[in-house]
Amino acid sequence: MTGESVFRSSNFLIPKDSFFNFIDALKSEYQIFGPVKERNQAVFKELSSSADLFMEYQTTMLSPGKMFIYKPTEDILKFRTGSTLSVEEVIPEIGKQVIVGIHPCDLNAILYLDRTFLGTFVDPYYKARRENTILIGLNCIQVSENCFCSSVGAGPHLRAQSGYDMVLTDFSEDYLVELKSSRASEIFKVKGKEAGPDEWKLKSVKEETLLKSFKKVIDITGIDDLFMRNLDHPVWVTTADERCLSCSNCVMVCPTCFCYDIVDEMSMNLKEIKRFRQIDACQDLRFAEVHGGNYRLRRASRLRQFVIHNLNYTGQYGATKTVGCGRCITWCPTKIDLTDIAKEIQRSPVH
Amino acid sequence: MKNPLLPLKAVITEIKLETKDVKTYSLFLENSSYSAKPGQFNMIGYPGAGEAPISLSSIVSDGRFQHTVRAVGRVTEFIERFGKGDEIYLRGPYGSCWPLEDALGRDVILVAGGVGVAPLRPVIQEILNKRESFGKVTLIYGSRSPDSILFMDEIDVWRKDIEVLLTVDEVRPHIKWEYDVGFVTGLIDKATLDPVKTFAFICGPEIMMLFVSRGLYLRGFFPSRVYVSLERRMKCGIAHCGHCQHGSKFVCKDGPVFLYSEVTKLPDGLL
Repeated sequence: MTGESVFRSSNFLIPKDSFFNFIDALKSEYQIFGPVKERNQAVFKELSSSADLFMEYQTTMLSPGKMFIYKPTEDILKFRTGSTLSVEEVIPEIGKQVIVGIHPCDLNAILYLDRTFLGTFVDPYYKARRENTILIGLNCIQVSENCFCSSVGAGPHLRAQSGYDMVLTDFSEDYLVELKSSRASEIFKVKGKEAGPDEWKLKSVKEETLLKSFKKVIDITGIDDLFMRNLDHPVWVTTADERCLSCSNCVMVCPTCFCYDIVDEMSMNLKEIKRFRQIDACQDLRFAEVHGGNYRLRRASRLRQFVIHNLNYTGQYGATKTVGCGRCITWCPTKIDLTDIAKEIQRSPVH
Repeated sequence: MKNPLLPLKAVITEIKLETKDVKTYSLFLENSSYSAKPGQFNMIGYPGAGEAPISLSSIVSDGRFQHTVRAVGRVTEFIERFGKGDEIYLRGPYGSCWPLEDALGRDVILVAGGVGVAPLRPVIQEILNKRESFGKVTLIYGSRSPDSILFMDEIDVWRKDIEVLLTVDEVRPHIKWEYDVGFVTGLIDKATLDPVKTFAFICGPEIMMLFVSRGLYLRGFFPSRVYVSLERRMKCGIAHCGHCQHGSKFVCKDGPVFLYSEVTKLPDGLL
């Protein structure tokens, strides 16, 4: 997003300790977020120091992009009542922040959100946070049960070359640090060994090994047409009627679901009206309701909307919405798996 | 940076009661370079009530334009209580427009159902402003009952320059009605149309637009000249909030005016 396509990447091998010292040094100027171990899980939260970091984490429940850049709720306008009504923009105070240790799926998810909020119309709230956030990616070292990023080109190693600042690859004692923006090279003054052919070779061996350990794989070639021909496939109704609770967990944990609702709230003394937005879900019955009808009255059509929007709709932004993080599968109370639905249609298309 | 979610204040300069639940609001935006094309919409509303997407029902001139609104939802019922001189908040215009420029020099058929005539009214106004630039123009307008026909007084003026065919679903006893009774599709069969040189702009209930579009196809209309305007739930109007998505389309940005052929195969009740 920062138009850095001309930036020439530089790459170093840095002892992990040096990298963590670099993070700690940033603390004076930046708010720093990263993966932290909490009981049996990892969550993205503010670090008090790099010692909090849990860099070997598996997928978190919530993605950092939808916690620190696109906020789940956000005040947008304030109206004051009185003799005349006044309108005030709520521009959030946004300090500089760093998110460290973002898995490729979640980094690609931020690049996807950019397509919505920095597209034809620019969302000033998203843009302000996005510009003030340094993104440090972390290539994966393991594959979780529901990961299928390799099937949609979103992992396990980051392929994108711009739109973020740095990406790390775990080299046991060291990190291979790739600098991807000019602001990254400005702040990253750590001296290290310049990466050469050996390092690149080792990196691709690591990726190839990882690629072999994916349990969930789906071939999405031609899936757009297949879905459009099979909108009446029985799998939609069967899965929806027998298993879907319309609980919206899938949407809430999805790192790329961008839909929001706008709500006006009057203060108790009637002097102020707050207009805020909050994440909305296509699984909600009222989501597609208009006067005189509801375009997705049936649960099956709402489930279908989620699945098709994620795996297909390449026409929308020229990229699949899903980044293969598998969260919607992990957090579905009835373990509905969008890749299973797609495979069922691939196996037995009705048209 | 300009905040696309920040509304502008417009003053209601006049309110006309069209039918018992439909009003036309004349609005004025001061010091504004506001302009909109026929078929586009605004998000209109009031703080506390929220916003709703409503098509303009007139062309824009010097910051003055109209919205014709049926009071059926939270926002529209709130606005219904407003009077002359009151302020209303809006942002826009958003979305695509009826392709009038493509239709220059050709015949045009407008098919409206119910309050769907409102987004077609700016088309009629624009055509009347340069009547000689278009061929034969026909408005086919259907509504529930004689007393629900909008813009009846204007229709008499329109008749001087364009053909107008009216129909209603039913006429109660002792009500005067000298036009047709039945579906708009019936009137299409009656109209003399040259399918090869006619553009069709259709706005009304989805089921009506479906049958009218199919009917026109059967009469030999080119699919590249049959347009419909869709209504969807919208919160933002700027392709962010996601409510109006169908397939890869955002109805607010890619529509609301679409070729019928563009949307007919998309999922979830699209025609």
